[in-house]
Order: sequence, then structure tokens, then C-alpha cells
Amino acid sequence: MRVAERTTHDGGTPPPVVAGTSVPTTTGSSGRQRRGVNREGLEAGRRSTRTLLWVLLAAAMVLYGFPFLYLLFTSFKTPIDTIAVPPTILPREWTLENYTNALGRSGVLASFINSIQTAIISTVLSLVLAVPAAYGITRYQTLSGRIFIMAALVTRMVPPVAIGIPLASMMAAVGLSDTPIALSIAHTTISLPLSIWLMSSFFEAVPKDLEEAATVDGCSRLGALWRVVIPVVSGGIAVTAIFAFLASWNEFLFALLMTAIRSQTTPVVIANFQTQFGLDWGSMTALAAVYSIPVILLTLLLQRKIVAGMTLGAVKG
Amino acid sequence: MRISDRRFALYLMTPAALFLAVFVAFPLFRLVADSFFKISPIAGGPRDFVGLDNYFRAFASEAFMGAGWRTLAYTLVVVTLEFALGLGMALLFTTLGRSSQIWRTVFMYPLMIAPIVAGLLWKFLMIDNFGLIGTLLHQAGILSNPNQIGWLSDPDIVLFSVAIPDIWLTTSFMCLVLFAGLQNIPGDLIEAARLDGARAPAMLFRIILPLLRPVIAVALVVRGIDAARAFDTILIQTNGGPQSASETMSLLIYRTMIRFGDPGLASAMGTVYLLAMLAVAFVAVSTIWRPGKDN
Repeated sequence: MRVAERTTHDGGTPPPVVAGTSVPTTTGSSGRQRRGVNREGLEAGRRSTRTLLWVLLAAAMVLYGFPFLYLLFTSFKTPIDTIAVPPTILPREWTLENYTNALGRSGVLASFINSIQTAIISTVLSLVLAVPAAYGITRYQTLSGRIFIMAALVTRMVPPVAIGIPLASMMAAVGLSDTPIALSIAHTTISLPLSIWLMSSFFEAVPKDLEEAATVDGCSRLGALWRVVIPVVSGGIAVTAIFAFLASWNEFLFALLMTAIRSQTTPVVIANFQTQFGLDWGSMTALAAVYSIPVILLTLLLQRKIVAGMTLGAVKG
Repeated sequence: MRISDRRFALYLMTPAALFLAVFVAFPLFRLVADSFFKISPIAGGPRDFVGLDNYFRAFASEAFMGAGWRTLAYTLVVVTLEFALGLGMALLFTTLGRSSQIWRTVFMYPLMIAPIVAGLLWKFLMIDNFGLIGTLLHQAGILSNPNQIGWLSDPDIVLFSVAIPDIWLTTSFMCLVLFAGLQNIPGDLIEAARLDGARAPAMLFRIILPLLRPVIAVALVVRGIDAARAFDTILIQTNGGPQSASETMSLLIYRTMIRFGDPGLASAMGTVYLLAMLAVAFVAVSTIWRPGKDN
């Protein structure tokens, strides 16, 4: 079994991932076979045991899902009800007041645009850099490639707080301070190593004969990569794009250090509600809900691919 | 003219390598360089070489040593609980088999939530007076008054309270990785153990966990590194307080740099922090993972 590491979550949540591997992007036949074998193995057989396990699962799901549901319920309370003592779970009166307050505040809509801009630039930058690099690493297996992928791994251990300030002053020196470009470059320092690891795993699953056939047919190596290999790994590129996007969308520390008024992203605005406006819990819950729901829905829609990406390579049998 | 494969591979890697050199390696170099200077927080202010003085000051300060221990404790709490809960959930999903698939997806949702939002949400649940957790425990008769436990205001327990959002956010990751590992355990091995009369605990400790070892190592190291860098969730919940009881290394460095305007000292702390992370990760990988010994 070979395992390496890489991961998620800087801005906190995103994408964890692990190791180089042979697991195919989509649930291929080998995945199915393995699962099939396992069904006879660990899957519980007795009906009473299964009922007990379902009860356990239901309890776990309720506990796990409740905090976010409470955030949603709270966002529909009236601002006064939000901080009532004792608190109630459901709103006494359902209203959109918290939403209109939050979204009407100056800077909030602009911060959404900044968040989207920053995340898109960072995602594109990550992919443009990571796709060729990962291909070079996996296809040619050179010493420099091995050193490079280890270096990318070490990059994951660098605490953002350690490079945030020097990065900010570098950006200021070239006149980019407080711009979405500067912040997306900072975010790419997080998502690039991750994207390289992810893309390497996807490229490893592509049979080498594919480009060999293409080069025999007169394609250049670059042409084979572009016209033959990239289309095959497009699913993997999509997964990588989602992780890069999420890493930027949810990131807070760089955004706090590197943005002021013009390019502030929504996580910073959410955090500012706390200090600037005292305890405006109602608006905060509404804004937090608006910011989280699109990415949760996106995940549920694309869940298969995302699960494949997250566990990809965690295990190589 | 056709260039060699090796050179072609190098060209493909160059842009990404340059990017990391300029935007990660160079700032790191600046960090280490700054740690030897006394730097005025004002732009263009004086910059005096002081040798190792910042390091002496860091190790002599109670805040730095305290933050070091708290970061360690925080990381251990987060990783241990996440591992226990994640393994429990992964086993639950595995024993329930295919029919639990949709719930596996739902269980993943916190991974997509921004840590800042998670921190905020749990602060709202644990805050004194109108926090829901205290109220529910009171209504259930466990607490005599809703504010009996000062989740975020009692210095003795705050470090555990601030860890909760982190655990809530990423237990799913642990679960996903362990679940994937469990799928790869050959079914006949389990069958053979079962025929030999192995009971559940023996099955878990003698067969499943040893086989999962490499996967567990990856999951623990990945999550350990992230937990040791935790910033957002703690900042939003307590800002390191009360009385610095939840001030971990990231927060201390941030405050030293921004609030106390001492970039030299903050850089020395950052350098030590980075070296410690590298050392711990190296030891963890080489002892738990034991590459090569599996064959």
C-alpha cells in the first residue's frame, strides 16, 4: 500500500485529499468490485443488528445536521428574537428581516462580487499551473518531478500566518495591494499544491498507450496532452477546480491580511459584523446562510465526483 | 528539433515551480531573514540587525511557550476526537453497506462550510445567556442553570470549546478517508476471521486497524497539520481569550505582528513554529506510516 498526503482546508474546509493512486476518477469497475467483495465482509447481516445501526446513524445525522439547521432557523427570526433569552429553536415569527438587513448593508454585495472574482481567478491560475506540472510529474517520472511533488507537499505545512505579511508587502511593492488579483495569488499558494497532487492522481489513472498511440499518429507531445489526455481527465479537472474554488471561497486569514476596502471578501465582512456593529447576530446568520448554501448545493449536486476526488488515492490497494 | 523527455517534463513543471518559488519560498525566506532584525512596524522605519535576540525573547516569553503547549493540546484533542468519531461513522456506513450511501453524502456537508461561518455558528450555540446548548442542557435537567458552563468564557475549558467547530467541520474528512480504506479490505480476510470465531473487538483491533494503518497515518498527519494551523474558528469565537486561554500559535503570531507591531519577534515565532511543524510531521510520517515495511 502506498500512501502520501495532501489535503484540505485552509480557509478551513475544503479539500482534503490524499495520495497518489490508481483509483479511477469515476466509479469504475474496480471500485464496484471492491465494494462488492466488501459487502460480504463487513456488512452487517442480522436484522436486529441492522435496525440498531440505523438508529445510531439517525442519531448521528440529527446531531450533525442540527447546528446548520439552527443557523437557518435563526436567520428567519426577527432581529430581537434572535438573541431572546431563553432561545427557541424555531422562529416565533418567520421573517426575511435579517436577510434584508444583511444584504442592504453597504459593502456586502460588493464583497460577494469580490469573493466570486477572487475564487475564479485563483481557480483558473491553479489549473493553468497545476495541469501541466502534474502531467510532467506523473508521465515522465523524473528525479526533478519527484523532488517537486515532495516540495509541494512541504508547502502544505507552511502556516499561512507565516507568509501572509511578507506576501502582502510584496503585493504592495508592485502596486497590487487590496486587489482581487493579489488575494487570488495568495489563495493559489494554498490551492496549487493541492491541485498538483490531485491532478497527479488523475493522470496516473490514464493509460500511457493513449498518448503513445497519438504520438505515433504524428501528434507532438504537447498536442497529445492537449487533444488526447486532457479530454480524458476532464472529470478530474472539474473536481480539482471545485476544490480550488472552495479553498479560495472559504479562506479567511489571507483575506484579512491582504484586503482593505476595495477587495474585501465576504468571510472578512462576516467577521467584521462582530466588531463593527456590536452583536448583530441576526444579520450574521443570514449572511452566513447566503454564503454557505450555494456551495452546499453545489456539493450535493456533484457529490459523486467530489467523493471520488477526496478519497482518491487515500488508498492504493 | 525534438527536446528530450526529461527536458520536456521540466518545462511543464517550470511555471508552477516558479510560482511556488516566488510566492511561497521567497516570503518564507523573508520571514526567516526578518527574524534576525528588530523592525519598526511603520513602513520604511528603522531595521536593525539583532542576531538571535528575537529568538531569545520568544523563548523567554510566557505567551510563546503557553501558545506552543496550547497548540499541541488543541491539535491532540481535535485529531483524537475526529479520529474516534470518524472511524465510528466509517464503520457504521460500512456495516450498513450500500443503502447508507445518501447519508454519506449528507454527512459530508460541513466540509463545504467556511471555517469562519462554523466558528460563528458554534459561538452562537455556546455563547452565554442566549446560547442554545446551555438552554437545552438546562431544560433536559442536566444543568441547574443555562449558564452553569461558560463554554467560551471559562479559561479552564475554552480550549476544548473552540475545538468543537473544527471537529464538526472535518470529522467528515476523516470518515471519508477511513471509509475508502475500509472498502479496500479484502472480504475473504474478514470471512476467514469470522470463521475463526473472531468477535467484533478482536476484528477491529487485530484485523481492521492494522490493515488501515497507512490510511490512518495519512488522515492523522493531514488533519494534524491543519489543526495545528487553526486560526479562523478560534479568532471568531474568542480572539484567543479569555486571558489568552485559547491563544494558539497562529493567533499569537498574528497578534504579535498586527496588534503589537513587532514583525521581528513575530517572524522568529513563525520560524520556530514552521520548523516544529516540519519536525513533527516528519517524525509522524516515518513512525506511523513506516513506508516500505508494509511489503
